[in-house]
Amino acid sequence: MKVKEFMKTRLEYVEVQDSVYDVIERMLDKRIRSLVVKPAGPEGVHGVVTARDVVFKALSKGLNPRDVKVSEIAAKPLVCIDQDTQLSDAAALMEKFNIGRVFVCDGKKLLGIFTLADAMAGSLIQIARESHVS
Amino acid sequence: MFLEKLLSPGKKEQVVIEGLKKHMKLLCSAIEVFQKALTENNKALMDDVKQSERDGDVIRREVISKIYEGAFLPYLRPNLCKLTEIIDNVFDLLKDAAYLYQTLRPVSTIQYQIDQIASLNLQMCQMLLMSFEALMGGGDLREKALAIRIYEKKIDDIKFDLLADLRSIPIDDFWEGKILSDFVSRLTSVSDVIEDASDYLQVINVSLR
Repeated sequence: MKVKEFMKTRLEYVEVQDSVYDVIERMLDKRIRSLVVKPAGPEGVHGVVTARDVVFKALSKGLNPRDVKVSEIAAKPLVCIDQDTQLSDAAALMEKFNIGRVFVCDGKKLLGIFTLADAMAGSLIQIARESHVS
Repeated sequence: MFLEKLLSPGKKEQVVIEGLKKHMKLLCSAIEVFQKALTENNKALMDDVKQSERDGDVIRREVISKIYEGAFLPYLRPNLCKLTEIIDNVFDLLKDAAYLYQTLRPVSTIQYQIDQIASLNLQMCQMLLMSFEALMGGGDLREKALAIRIYEKKIDDIKFDLLADLRSIPIDDFWEGKILSDFVSRLTSVSDVIEDASDYLQVINVSLR
């Protein structure tokens, strides 16, 4: 089974100059755990800021989230895969980089996001299909 | 054990089981045609979906009349009737969506999400059929039921995004807006009802133990 069957295509974005407070607000409002950081300029690349980044790099250090910029905690570049990547290969990549999500890209274009939860959902459906004896 | 309980003593039960299977297969093929009509923007193909709904009605009547003639033990009959009625509800939603699509002005901004939902509906229906076959074979339904719930959750997620996008579509008159809203509502309800059917399969499965 391929990643494109399980990826989410709706991505939420923040600007590099936004504060961590904006990120927290957006994540809680949308009930998501990561946001894509828009490139700083035409030559820049996308980044990602996750709930882990917010908690470990800002909150746990006692920093005021209003004073910390997204650019200070975001990771870049994104780890990208092709939409035809097999589920197991995407899972192996997440394990290799110790990350909870990979991005589905077509060249420079972002198509979607594939997370640990998507990998689990995909594997369960795969098991259900493969165990079927008609 | 399952087959013994279900198929003994006779032919009426076999007719009901074959009828239910035929009903679900017809539903899956109707959803497939619906999806094809959407992706190809072929409004004429939606007539085949409406015809499938009428064919489904015939099968439902056959199944219910055989059950009322005395197929299966009495405690199983209401659940089997309910199952075929739930499948019929999916046909009704699909027929309404097909009709609405034929009168709808295409909206490119939501086309991708519409296609995604139609594709997931088809995968859900196929999983429901697998689940039914597993029930007949005495197999395990648990993982198939869970797979159906995962599909439903995915459709729900897309639905909420779709509803947000709908608000930004310019609408010229009341009926245009109503038709678009009703179409999205019917399309996104298909998965809810398929999930209900899956739950009923579980009920039948448990009642056979």
